Amino acid sequence: MSPPSAAAQLQPAPGPQPSFILPDARGERFALDAQRGHVVIVHFFATWCEPCREELPALNRLAERSNGTIWVLAISVDEPDDRVERFFRATPVRFPVLLDRDRAVAKSWNVTTLPSSFVLDADLKPRLAVETDFAWDTVDPRTLAGELSATTQTQGTSQLQEDKHAIR
Amino acid sequence: MQFDRRSVLKAGAALSAFAAMPRMASAYGAFNPQPGPWRQFEVVTRLEIAKPEGKMQAWVPVPAVNEADWFKSLGSEWSGNGHASLGRDPKYGAQFVHVEWKDGETKPLIEVTSKIATRDRAVDLSQAGTVKSLPAAEHKFYTEGTELIPVDGIVKQTSDKIVAGAKTDVEKVRAVYEWIVANTFRDGKVRGCGIGDIASMLKTGNLGGKCADLNALHVGLVRAAGIPARDVYGIRVAPSKYGYKSLGANAEVITKAQHCRAEVFIAGHGWVATDPADVRKVVLEEPPGNLAIDNPKVVDARNTLFGAWEGNWLAYNFGHDIALPGSKGPKLGFLMYPQAECGPSRLDCLDPDNVKYTITSKELTGA
Repeated sequence: MSPPSAAAQLQPAPGPQPSFILPDARGERFALDAQRGHVVIVHFFATWCEPCREELPALNRLAERSNGTIWVLAISVDEPDDRVERFFRATPVRFPVLLDRDRAVAKSWNVTTLPSSFVLDADLKPRLAVETDFAWDTVDPRTLAGELSATTQTQGTSQLQEDKHAIR
Repeated sequence: MQFDRRSVLKAGAALSAFAAMPRMASAYGAFNPQPGPWRQFEVVTRLEIAKPEGKMQAWVPVPAVNEADWFKSLGSEWSGNGHASLGRDPKYGAQFVHVEWKDGETKPLIEVTSKIATRDRAVDLSQAGTVKSLPAAEHKFYTEGTELIPVDGIVKQTSDKIVAGAKTDVEKVRAVYEWIVANTFRDGKVRGCGIGDIASMLKTGNLGGKCADLNALHVGLVRAAGIPARDVYGIRVAPSKYGYKSLGANAEVITKAQHCRAEVFIAGHGWVATDPADVRKVVLEEPPGNLAIDNPKVVDARNTLFGAWEGNWLAYNFGHDIALPGSKGPKLGFLMYPQAECGPSRLDCLDPDNVKYTITSKELTGA
């Protein structure tokens, strides 16, 4: 296994990104707008992409360490549903995994590299971004969440996001 | 503009010593396909849904290419326990057998038998040709971008750099071909992956891949230079008679032998065979593997596959962005593998736990 890209840093994000509604492999639909009030990492990946596979466990550990202060939406780009489902049966994560089947959301966010991650503040404004795999284990979730929540009066809870974010 | 990450653009070097050379025998010289006798093959695709559930349907590609000089699609028949019919993509003419099974079918099965005739092809680009130019509408059609093959932005910028200094269409296409051969390999230092289109390949600098990636990149860069080009999606049906283990289907079962090639339209010569992805395949896979770029077998393939290819291969179609009838899933970038759906989900046809299919090939007439 290779280490995450040594030079990879979270950079200022390029600007507003369009909202989206995407399904997960069970057909439940998730809306970005429904995450408002929380710091959110929107993470684009593919299960065939080696750096993506290596990065996902670190992202999962961050979600776990954040205890609900940072929420993660992982978006699989252009993959068959059952391939994604099979991957996460073997490598379970605690955040929703959404399916961008036709790459429409990746394209609308100008994503050309997998993995790519965007850190959104509580107003869902992209504040930080990284266009390769990133060492999420180096991030203090409380510090990150504190900095990015400062612009909004957030009444966040720390419940597991799987229970809260789906559009039903 | 970001042209970055790594030296994606060794474009200036693309017009290498190879670039202006006509196709000629190398020191090795054994790989020399020439138009000769036609060979007929029967190819059978048998597909089963391993875990039947909900509404089930499948689409099995069948050959739909007819080119007088090198390939004839001789028809397809099918049998099974679903309702099946022949479908056709309206834009590119790609064909497939679409089968739907009734709910509760416990052993969904379709078997499709196709017959084809194929032979070697080659053109001598050092001689003047007499083929007329493409009509304007076709020229436009084969220089446009597709979902996976955009021809603007970084693709156009890259193409411009590669073909700078080339005067004729042959020189331009050769420059792109040589650039593909020289630059498309898996670089361990590149961490990112593309999202499936050629623009993201160029932006990430991750230029490794298989034929659908490499020859798509070739087609896109040629189209961006204003020269018609097209991918041809197909499958190898027989061993190579020129001694290349990596360039043939070496058993009756050819389930994993899918391969796409590329054609470029050169004024005077018409559609010309090219296959830079197979040059990289020889480098990577030809025994003992990881051959040097100056290995005689690589040099021979590199010289030959610009202007010629061997007729041990079935051509399905030239299609891109194919919407499968009856499917709620996204368009396919190309149709080279059988596709299947259970309920709302498109199945992973590379996963034998969900979809089992075998493709076999049998020669009907010898060379």
